[in-house]
Amino acid sequence: MNADTALPPLACEGLSVRYGATAVLENLTFAVPAGCVYALLGRNGAGKSSLVRCLTGQMRASAGRALLFGRDVWRDRASLMARVGVVPEEPDAPPELSAAGLVRLTARLHERWDVAGAQERLRRFDVPLGTRFARLSKGQKGAVMLTLALGHEPELLILDDPTLGLDVLAREAVFGEVIGELADRGTTVLVTTHDLAAIEGIADRIGILRDGRLVVDEALETAKERFALPLERIFADVTAPAAGGSR
Amino acid sequence: MPRNQLRVDPASAAPLWSQIEEGLRRLVASGALAPGAVVPSVRDLARDLRVNPATVSKAYQRLTDAGVLEVRRGDGTYVSAAPPALPRAERARALREGAMRYASLAATFGIPRDESVDELRAAWTELGRGRKGETS
Repeated sequence: MNADTALPPLACEGLSVRYGATAVLENLTFAVPAGCVYALLGRNGAGKSSLVRCLTGQMRASAGRALLFGRDVWRDRASLMARVGVVPEEPDAPPELSAAGLVRLTARLHERWDVAGAQERLRRFDVPLGTRFARLSKGQKGAVMLTLALGHEPELLILDDPTLGLDVLAREAVFGEVIGELADRGTTVLVTTHDLAAIEGIADRIGILRDGRLVVDEALETAKERFALPLERIFADVTAPAAGGSR
Repeated sequence: MPRNQLRVDPASAAPLWSQIEEGLRRLVASGALAPGAVVPSVRDLARDLRVNPATVSKAYQRLTDAGVLEVRRGDGTYVSAAPPALPRAERARALREGAMRYASLAATFGIPRDESVDELRAAWTELGRGRKGETS
C-alpha cells in the first residue's frame, strides 16, 4: 500500500481554464474518493474535455490545480500517470499495429504489465489479435483502448465517453469489463458519458457540468432522492437552458 | 440461481441495493432459492445486473446480517439452512404495513377492492409454483 492512500485519487482545487476572455472551466472543486465511480456529465461544450485534459496533465490550468493522489498532475505528470489508465474519447493507436502488437508495445513501456490478462480480455471482447488497428471496428478499437488502459492494473481509471458511437452489445461489453475491474481491484473510476442508462447502475457519485461550472456534485442515491427523478431527468432538468432567459 | 430471476431497474427511485435485497428475499420466500442453495458471487451478480459490485455487496451484507444468507469463508455465499423467523408481533406489524402500502397503491390507481384482492391471490399462486403445499 502507498503511504498516500488516504488522499483522494483524483481532485480539483479551484480549477479554472480560460481562453482569452472565455471561461471554459470556472473554479471547480471536487474530489473522487478511493474506490468511487464518479460519473461526470454535461452537454457538449460544458467543459468535460478540457477537464479531462487537465486531469491527465495535457493542459495547464489558468488557475487552481488538478490533483492525482494529492499531487499536481501538471508538475508530476509522468510518475502520476503511471498509476492511471486512460481511455480517450477517440481511439488512438498506431494504425499499422495489430492488437497483439499494441499489447507488446504498451507492456514494454511499463515496469509491470499483465500481457496474459490483456490477451484474455481481448478474447472476451472478440477482438482479432492479428488484425491491423486501422481495420478494426469502432467497438473493437474501444475494446483495445480499454485493454491497453488496464494492463498495468491502474489505481485510477479515466474513461472519456468510452461508449460513444458503440452499439448496445459493445457498450455492455465495455461496462461489463469495468464492473469486473471494480470487483477485482476496487479501482477508482472517473467516467464522462452520454450513456446515462448504462452508468445509472454503476456510478456512486455524479457531477454535472454546465457552462464550465460544477452545478451538481453528490452521491447518485441522494441526488435521486432529492430530485425524486431518474438520472436522465435530473440531467435534463439541471442542464436545460434557463426558461424565459434573454438571448 | 437461475438467470433473469432477479431484475433491477436502475432508473427506479428505490435504491439499487434495496431492489437487490428485496428481490433475493422474494426468491428465498418463493423457494426459487432453496435453503442451502448457493447464490452468485458479488462479481458475477454485479456483471449480470450491470451494477456496481459495492451495491451488490451492500445487499448481501444486509441479508447476511438478517440471517437470510450466510457466508462460508473461502467458499461462497449460501441461502441460510434455516432463514430466521421474526417474533410474532413484529411479523404482524410488517404484514400490516405491507398490506397498507399495497392497498394505498391500488387506491391510487383507482383499482376496485375485489380486483386488488384477486391480484393478491394471483401473487400467492405465483409464489406457490416454487413452493409446494402453502397455497390452495
